[in-house]
Amino acid sequence: MEDLLKVENLRAGIDGKEILRGINLTVHPGEVHAIMGPNGSGKSTLSGVLAGDPRFTVLGGSASLGGADLLALSPEDRSHEGLFLSFQYPVEIPGVTMVNFMRAAINAKRKYLGEEPMSAAEFLKVMRQKRAVVELDNKLASRSVNEGFSGGEKKRNEIFQMAMLEPKVAILDETDSGLDIDALRIVAGGVNKLKTDRNATIVITHYQRLLDYIKPDFVHILYKGRIVHTGGPELALELEEKGYDWIKQEVDNE
Amino acid sequence: MSSSDSGAFAQYLDLARSNADVLAKGRPALLGDLNAAGANRLEALAAAYRPAAGEINACRLDTLLAPDYGVNIARVPMQADVAASFRCGVPQLNSLLAVVVNDIFRPTDTLLRNMPDGLTVCSLRDIPAQFTDDAAAMLSDTGASVADAVADALTTDGVYIRVAPHTEVEKAVQIVNIFNSPVAMLTPRRVLIHACEGAKVRVLLCDHTQSPATAHLSLQQIQIRVDAGADVEFYDIEESSAATHRLSTLRAVQQRDSRLTVNSDYLSGGTTRNEFDIRVDGNGAYTSLSGLAIISGEQVCSNNVVLRHNAEHCTSRQLFKNALYDNARGAFGGRIIVDEAARYTDAAQTNRNILESADARMEASPQLEIYCDEVKCSHGATTGQLDERALFYMQTRGIPRDEAKRMLTQAFMVDVIDNISFEVLRQRLHILVEKRLSGASADCSTCATACHTQPTEE
Repeated sequence: MEDLLKVENLRAGIDGKEILRGINLTVHPGEVHAIMGPNGSGKSTLSGVLAGDPRFTVLGGSASLGGADLLALSPEDRSHEGLFLSFQYPVEIPGVTMVNFMRAAINAKRKYLGEEPMSAAEFLKVMRQKRAVVELDNKLASRSVNEGFSGGEKKRNEIFQMAMLEPKVAILDETDSGLDIDALRIVAGGVNKLKTDRNATIVITHYQRLLDYIKPDFVHILYKGRIVHTGGPELALELEEKGYDWIKQEVDNE
Repeated sequence: MSSSDSGAFAQYLDLARSNADVLAKGRPALLGDLNAAGANRLEALAAAYRPAAGEINACRLDTLLAPDYGVNIARVPMQADVAASFRCGVPQLNSLLAVVVNDIFRPTDTLLRNMPDGLTVCSLRDIPAQFTDDAAAMLSDTGASVADAVADALTTDGVYIRVAPHTEVEKAVQIVNIFNSPVAMLTPRRVLIHACEGAKVRVLLCDHTQSPATAHLSLQQIQIRVDAGADVEFYDIEESSAATHRLSTLRAVQQRDSRLTVNSDYLSGGTTRNEFDIRVDGNGAYTSLSGLAIISGEQVCSNNVVLRHNAEHCTSRQLFKNALYDNARGAFGGRIIVDEAARYTDAAQTNRNILESADARMEASPQLEIYCDEVKCSHGATTGQLDERALFYMQTRGIPRDEAKRMLTQAFMVDVIDNISFEVLRQRLHILVEKRLSGASADCSTCATACHTQPTEE
């Protein structure tokens, strides 16, 4: 099977401090991967580096998406190549309506792919369909991006954007944080609806809870900037039961 | 200490005095009085001139007036067909349109045919006899600066707008200012607006340059009288060439329970210095002053507000926003003076600026002078950059960085635009700002909006 995302020996840091110290990760179409790990292990750095967050500096290694050299691309071109990052803290953009925001995003992608811009009527139709995926209220869709949205609405809005952009690989960074159980169910349900045998999802999370709703095929444990353990869904349950200490001990005693 | 060049002013005094007979030709008495008084003040003020501390060099009066501009005191008519070819960007406005070519007033047929009862829009050379005293009284309320005196000494024309008591003018009065000259030219422009008691009017001014290769200086003087219960909305959009500089003074006096809305937008031009001097003399008045400026290249735009609260229970709101690119310079001076008699004043002033280049510079100086205890006054000034987190967020959705910047800058301006109650203009301004931020040329002859090709209202 072809590799969809291939990360090899990726090293990256912030302000001169190395955080990712050689990440290896291969994701195939149709797979769901969970990346778990204690605070400060580098989970959000990994998602940020893959998306092209300028705060981080890549120190070595490679990452490719469907053959494209991700690290050589601007964040927008990574998106056009099919990468999507659902933010842990979605940004509020006062004065930019969701409609204008999404239309600019969709048409930029179409331009990149050499396609004609979407007509206004078609765009509104697609918006309506995709809103239904996460039961996003039309009122929110006509407001400024994330402005005044509740925590749950912001996360639903992330998944709505994912539905609009139809990425090959979606990284969900702590999508469960700040969600009550109903919102969690809606968000996870949205992610599951978007799953096909051609795309893949990487779920970054602290807790097993989200994995009750989004079933992973693989669970990776990130600690001190490396993936120190990879297993099946049972590994998440083991972590839930035993915590991270046994992992820490295992690694620290090496 | 900066030295000043009084020669900058003296050349215009010489011009006025040595051409007194040319100026006098066909001139109505009220302009004669204005010219004479202006020349006398110019003589005194030129000698006493000192630039204010911290002023941007390009905006200093002696810098703006230093070039040896010609003044069309002989009133040589410039190209005639301008009215047909230049219509400012407000289609469907269905306005009462007049064109001012340099300083010469030209009403359109539509204006003359459709002038509603109670509205007078005419040249200062052609004021109906019953209103000459009114216009003369307004003209005698002169500005204090040496530039105001230069303007007074050389003014040969202008626009007089009067709205009779309790008359609401439904259509907007639109004055399209065109600069067109084969040689460097200084143009004194005067606009008098008098809304009598209970009257209501909207006036829109826009500046365009038809001869962008020539240097122009617009020496604009706007005077607004807002009588008791009257409501005046005044919009001023500058979209001229890099060689068109502007020194504009707007002076307004408000009476009891009146409303005054002033919105001034700089989309393009050379060096622009706008002065606003608003005096609120009547109780219960409302004042809104706002503006946006998109300044790029070597452009300079400076807005200075002096708002004098002299009466009780008055409210004022100020909102000025600037986006600066390249080597642009911007300034905002906002002074609110609350007199000891002005109890229960509620005054708020906001100035926000975005620097989109490391070489752009913005100077903001808000000042509150409060001589009364029972007031609510606030001011805030911030200068910063676009939100990097928002830019990154937009990029991760596939929006190219430059487009994301444009969208954020447009969003930054949105509250100034949305503040405009004049709906057609508000929509138009959204488009004009978007075009400007997309790099579309903003001088009228090549303007991307191509409004001059739009069908006219006739």
